[in-house]
Amino acid sequence: MSAKIKNFVLVGLCTVFIFGFLIWGLIAPDGEISKSERRPLAKFPTLSADTILSGEFMTSFESYTLDQFPLRDNFRTLKSLTAFYVFNQQDSNDIFIAEGHASKLEYPLNEDSINYATDRFQYVYDTYLEGNAGNVYLSVIPDKNFFLSQKNNYPAIDYNAMINKVTENMPYAQYIDITDKLTLSDYYTTDSHWKQEEILPVAQHLAENMGVSLKGEYTETKAETPFYGVYSGQSALPLKADTVTYLENEYTQSYTVYDFETDSYIPVYDTDKLTGNDPYEMYLAGPKSLLVIENPKAETDKELIIFRDSFTSSLAPLMCEGYSKVTLVDIRYISPEMLKNFITFEGKDILFIYSTSVLNNSITIK
Amino acid sequence: MLFSSIPFLFYFLPIVILLYFAVPKKLKNLVLLLSSLFFYGWGEPRFLVFMLVSILQGYIFGLLIEKHQGTKRSKVFLAASVIFSLGLLGYCKYADFFITNFNALTGMSVPLLGIALPIGISFYTFQILSYTVDVYRKDVAAQRNLINLAAYIAMFPQLIAGPIVRYSDIALQLEERSHSFEKCAEGIRRFVLGLAKKILIANILGELVATFKASDDKSVLFYWMYAFAYLFHIYFDFSGYSDMAIGLGKIFGFDFIENFNYPYISGSITEFWRRWHISLGSWFRDYLYIPMGGNRVSTPRHLFNILVVWMATGFWHGAAWNFILWGLMFAVLLIIEKLFLLKVLKKLKVLNHIYVMFFVILSFVLFDSLSIADAFHNIGAMLGAGGIPLISTEAVYYLKSYAVILVIGAVGSTPLPAYLVNKAKTLKAGTIVVNILEPVCLVGLLTVCTAFLIDGSFNPFLYFRF
Repeated sequence: MSAKIKNFVLVGLCTVFIFGFLIWGLIAPDGEISKSERRPLAKFPTLSADTILSGEFMTSFESYTLDQFPLRDNFRTLKSLTAFYVFNQQDSNDIFIAEGHASKLEYPLNEDSINYATDRFQYVYDTYLEGNAGNVYLSVIPDKNFFLSQKNNYPAIDYNAMINKVTENMPYAQYIDITDKLTLSDYYTTDSHWKQEEILPVAQHLAENMGVSLKGEYTETKAETPFYGVYSGQSALPLKADTVTYLENEYTQSYTVYDFETDSYIPVYDTDKLTGNDPYEMYLAGPKSLLVIENPKAETDKELIIFRDSFTSSLAPLMCEGYSKVTLVDIRYISPEMLKNFITFEGKDILFIYSTSVLNNSITIK
Repeated sequence: MLFSSIPFLFYFLPIVILLYFAVPKKLKNLVLLLSSLFFYGWGEPRFLVFMLVSILQGYIFGLLIEKHQGTKRSKVFLAASVIFSLGLLGYCKYADFFITNFNALTGMSVPLLGIALPIGISFYTFQILSYTVDVYRKDVAAQRNLINLAAYIAMFPQLIAGPIVRYSDIALQLEERSHSFEKCAEGIRRFVLGLAKKILIANILGELVATFKASDDKSVLFYWMYAFAYLFHIYFDFSGYSDMAIGLGKIFGFDFIENFNYPYISGSITEFWRRWHISLGSWFRDYLYIPMGGNRVSTPRHLFNILVVWMATGFWHGAAWNFILWGLMFAVLLIIEKLFLLKVLKKLKVLNHIYVMFFVILSFVLFDSLSIADAFHNIGAMLGAGGIPLISTEAVYYLKSYAVILVIGAVGSTPLPAYLVNKAKTLKAGTIVVNILEPVCLVGLLTVCTAFLIDGSFNPFLYFRF
């Protein structure tokens, strides 16, 4: 190939590349959402003198072009593959791969965040629980890094220090350790959450420590839809899909789940969500501020109120077997000040159960 | 607007290229000017006024200086233009620095002006200064066509981060320049390489620098990793930008001066400054150092000249004491080299490079510090002060994560890759292979850069604010 042909090929290829994507971007319809990142995509910004002079138009236009770029997901995958396999970077967008699992770097220990979370729990205790409720329990759900980081030399939070801090800040609660009931295989490989079919020992251990016994006899149903967890989209790597499995028995089939947000009853397992943005939302419809699960087949009148995050969506159906009623409160979506309008706490057992990642990033707690 | 952004690469640039080559020759500078003003206004539209006023004063004073050439009035108009240019730069960039120091000295509390620095003002101010001074010196004729002069000052390829193109270097090209397929290909090649330097090396190492700064788990190893990461980050960021500017210039028919020439292979600090930010160094040489007498004066005066020039160089980079100290540090090293060290360094093979890199690394730690105290803290920590551990889990993790990029940065900052390509080209088969691989690799780099832009969020230009 002569220098002349080389120049011709170079100019031609670059022209086709740049002008091609310009034209493609202009004529292609704008996307609404990024399924892989589970977020809406930026729209063409409002064009006005105000937005131009303030610079808002330019900033928004940049976001728009990034979000609506043709073959965006493919480019994101290319970036991740280059970062991992060409530059040998240990993570891409803070997502790393170890032992077949994708996980997110979570460190260092954010003591301010833990103090903020436990301050809000303290408010709940002072306002509603002290001298009023039954026993108060506390448990901390380790994220996957608990099992992955040290072994694979990834930086991680000091879990012992975190648990010590939480228990120290919540002297009114009896701590139930569940870390020895979990292993790495109990978590999805592409998602942050645990698998419902693997956490029965956790439910039984919690229940046992709260004076309740669970039989734990369930039938497993595997969803046919492949589950690409949150880390799959964030890493943009071509990861192997997980499978969502849910556990049913005569109790779960009889539960009624009341959703205060929509003032309606919802299914325990909403299989329609399996094809949505986040299939994990099939458990108790995902992020919900206030749910009440009633168990008509309960052999007890014990009630439990759980202050929780998304991990408990798959745990709670297993816990309900031992209670006549379980109330699930997610104070990331409802202010604790509002709870008096919906819940009575008298004599009911209380469980605070939060994942380490929420405790370390507790700004979302109201 | 940044070169390394999707709006620039896939909207602005193709549209401007299309317009530029579609219009007749006499309108090409107008297209360049309008697109440059759009490019500038895109980032901060309100600062367009500063630039337009600066251009106008440069144009008017240039004509007046020429008209009254040889008379006192010419000097007065030159002084007026210089005062205007430096006054605007001083007001925008240095006012708060002086107020802060005044308050500290007097105990008063004069309120700060809080002026946002217009993008590229340090660069275009120096270009206008060089133009009016060159007209005064009769090195160039005043430009009568406002569009041509404005196109030179505002030209988007080199507007916000250089190189500082002197009017005398491109005066003829503004009137008459050639466009060719070869030049366009050369421009694309240079631009894509600059883009890759910026996105695939500088930005990634910039992430490591940011991670280090945010870390609570610092160690001696981490401090040194930061120092090396910043060393390569600043080089690939700035030289990448210069490559992109030079490449874009070629596409539009201009030949801008080179701004970097493998500075990290220098055997002395004197050589380093002949290879680093060449356009700035030569600007200070020609418009400050030589007018002050240069080296054709007594030794004390010569040393004084060096101190003043390097203090000004440091101050040009930023309105803070660490930048002044940064400049003075180089002044001291250059003076020592002039007095005796240069002769010793020339006899050394390896130690001279270690000496240069040691001081360059320290200088950039000082450059990147928030204050002089912060600089001493960082340099002390690199040397093990402060009781920090030698290594930490975090440092080891990030060393593994960034080792390849650091090695690419180290090798890429030497002439080795270019040497190997040129060596291959000396063979017939090698030429064929290089000719085949070059377009493929460049388009591959462009694709990967696009991927990093789409997925990335860390994309600042270090020299954007200078």
